[in-house]
Amino acid sequence: MNSPHSAASRVLLVALSSVLAMGVAGYASGQGSAAMPAPSPDATLTIGIGVDLDTVDPAQQTTTTVQNVIDYGLQTLVAFDTQGKIKPLLATSWSTSQDGMTLTLHLRQGVKFHDGTPFNADAVVYSLDRLISGKIRVPIGAGFKSMKTIEAVNPTTVAIHLKHPDPNLVPNLSTTIASIFSPTSATKDGNSPERIVHPVGTGPYQFTRWNKGSEVVYTRFDGYWGEKPYYKTVDFKIIPEANSREAGLLAGQLDVIMNPPVTDLTSLSNNPAVKVLKAPSDRSVFIAINTAKPPFNNEKVRQALNYAVDKDAIIKNVMFNAVNPMDSAFPSSLSGYCKVGAYPYDPDKAKQLLSEAGVKNVKVTLGSSTGRYIQDIQFAQAISGYLRKVGIDANVRTMDWPSYVSTMQQKDGFDLHVLGWAPGALDGPTQLQMFTSATIPPKGLNTSFFSNPTVDKLASESALNLHDASRSEQLCQIQKEVWRQAPWIFLWSQTLILAYNSKITGVSYLPNEKFETMAAHPR
Amino acid sequence: MSAFLTYLVRRLVAAGVTLLGVILVMVLLVRALPGDPARIIAGLLATPEQVAQVRLSMGLDEPVPVQYWRYLVNLAHGSLGTSARFGTTVLSEIGHRLPYTIVLAVFGTLFGAVFGIALGVLAATHKGRWIDAFGSMLGVAGISMPVYWLGILLIVLFSVQLKLLPIGGAGSASSLVMPTLTLGVFSMAVVSRMTRSTMLDTLDQDYVRTVRAKGVVEWVAVRHALHNAFIPILTVIGLQFGTLLGGAVLTETVFSWPGIGQLLVQSINNRDFPLVQGIVFVFAAMFIVLNIITDLLYSVVDPRVRLYR
Repeated sequence: MNSPHSAASRVLLVALSSVLAMGVAGYASGQGSAAMPAPSPDATLTIGIGVDLDTVDPAQQTTTTVQNVIDYGLQTLVAFDTQGKIKPLLATSWSTSQDGMTLTLHLRQGVKFHDGTPFNADAVVYSLDRLISGKIRVPIGAGFKSMKTIEAVNPTTVAIHLKHPDPNLVPNLSTTIASIFSPTSATKDGNSPERIVHPVGTGPYQFTRWNKGSEVVYTRFDGYWGEKPYYKTVDFKIIPEANSREAGLLAGQLDVIMNPPVTDLTSLSNNPAVKVLKAPSDRSVFIAINTAKPPFNNEKVRQALNYAVDKDAIIKNVMFNAVNPMDSAFPSSLSGYCKVGAYPYDPDKAKQLLSEAGVKNVKVTLGSSTGRYIQDIQFAQAISGYLRKVGIDANVRTMDWPSYVSTMQQKDGFDLHVLGWAPGALDGPTQLQMFTSATIPPKGLNTSFFSNPTVDKLASESALNLHDASRSEQLCQIQKEVWRQAPWIFLWSQTLILAYNSKITGVSYLPNEKFETMAAHPR
Repeated sequence: MSAFLTYLVRRLVAAGVTLLGVILVMVLLVRALPGDPARIIAGLLATPEQVAQVRLSMGLDEPVPVQYWRYLVNLAHGSLGTSARFGTTVLSEIGHRLPYTIVLAVFGTLFGAVFGIALGVLAATHKGRWIDAFGSMLGVAGISMPVYWLGILLIVLFSVQLKLLPIGGAGSASSLVMPTLTLGVFSMAVVSRMTRSTMLDTLDQDYVRTVRAKGVVEWVAVRHALHNAFIPILTVIGLQFGTLLGGAVLTETVFSWPGIGQLLVQSINNRDFPLVQGIVFVFAAMFIVLNIITDLLYSVVDPRVRLYR
């Protein structure tokens, strides 16, 4: 039923709509098309990243930047392309049984791991079984809970037996968590089956060294099965300060940087020595409204908040156009996204809705993170200003991230708070964790404490629905319902901002907040 | 036992008691922080069972006195525990970072001491002249200029404009220059102000006048005065060094220096209790040892200072 074709076409539809919706995705994808020069014997690409790594174990990491780095050496069975479409990688084809209880994958042949171990079904079983064995902690492994057993049918075929049908398993297999690494490497180079410190995969680059707090170095793997990249070495420099990364790029010491200071986007874009790429991502950024607290238990009040904020003005003046406005409860890169509408800036309508709800001159707290999302505290201040204009006195409160996360999970915590959410497998169910009763804290992070029977019912139905068209329909209905009920002030989906030396071409991205330089080379 | 050894043993016992207190305060303080550490370590997407498992494995389900006792027992066995975030031993994480911090602290303090004393002496001997005014200006600027801002300015000048120095990292000797300057300017400011004021006091004293009256060249008189003014200066330098050993978080961040300050901030944000406790413990131990050494140096600099009798 869920043949690769239908899965692919579903994602393709999503991809098309996201291209139409944003118009941004188009020009980045064409950049890798220039002919690749022969692999250089010594060239190094230096990439400035903002986050220090805490682990290089694919199953135990929790950070997109960590994934981004270790993806250079590790590969998955399937992968996303720039449009968010699933494509074969270590698996060449796959199919789901009639009853939806078995996913069979056919593996690529002639592939070797960096340590010479042949890639085969045993390696797949080893890597995937680790996710469900219970022997290690897999912090973001919820997407693999449907797997019951993994079986090597023959050296080139793997069957995954499921506890229940799961339309989202294939996209989940594309995430870094499900990377396939060499089973023989698990006891070498300081590795243990419980903790991988030297990941050995099948990717175009092999992990060479990690100097904690300063750099991670990858070297091209000459036995790579696919097209070999131009750069011999990729050196990820860990530079937490955005201004320092920008200086490194301008000084010519870094070739590519992620997230330059957003306030400098205009000057960088005007600099002929630099190219700026704003890659659409899966991260929605929003103000969660505490629907457990009066007056926010009234949907009119929540809608009023949405009308009260001039998002376009904030995007232009505070966000430096580094984000794309949301027009649904899903960001447009997610599978199952459907465009719902807009809450245009209309303070009069906001006031009218508030007076209908009998609300005037309320004092509320607006929680904001600082530096976690692009311009977070700045846009929170701007939003507080707009709310004041319609008679809601929103006092912005900040705290360090762990305290913040803890406060937002309490019903008597914030009235409103800033949050971002990014389903790395570009899947609906992870986004739905923000809206279902089953994921209200402490069970999950539905920190608007939103609960709606229609949404709950459709969410649990869609999670098991293998029929693509009707599942999309269910997801679309959810998005409409959530949009109308407005548990959030819907803001925007973030972009991953890359800036790189204009002498380089072929820098690209994936729609889940990752950069990609396999096709990069000097112009 | 000689008087010196008795003194040293007494100081070390006192240091041990202080450290016990530090650990107690630390254990209590860290647990007073808001935010469930098990939740943060387990990750935002973790199930309640996973969170409970982490709580159990970190020993967070036990009463604080038990946790304190366990910490002391581990310490007695030479272990600072295992980092909740990295899964490695706390000692190895600190071991990776501490050498960088020590190098930076040594160079920063050296720069501050050498130039601070020179500037302070010049200002004192040329009181009211342009060099004094210049020294005061540098002192005020050095103390009030945010290291952050100075760091970025240096990067723009030396890396972006002149293309002389690496913007950061710890790859080569040249990457030490800007962080040393940034930290050193602040230390220099503090040291030079202290040097100037104590030098002015001593230069006024009778014995200096006597020395001058004997007709020696001026620098000999200054040397005499400096010798006697040195104890407060040494105290300031010792304190500066101690502070820098605690990791200069902002400087480390601007220059991507893989020191221990960044690691501490990171582990506080991750609520990585074992690592936070380990780092604070090491800081406290270093500070105490440094204090003892500074005290010992007093009597070297000035034999009239008797630490023990």
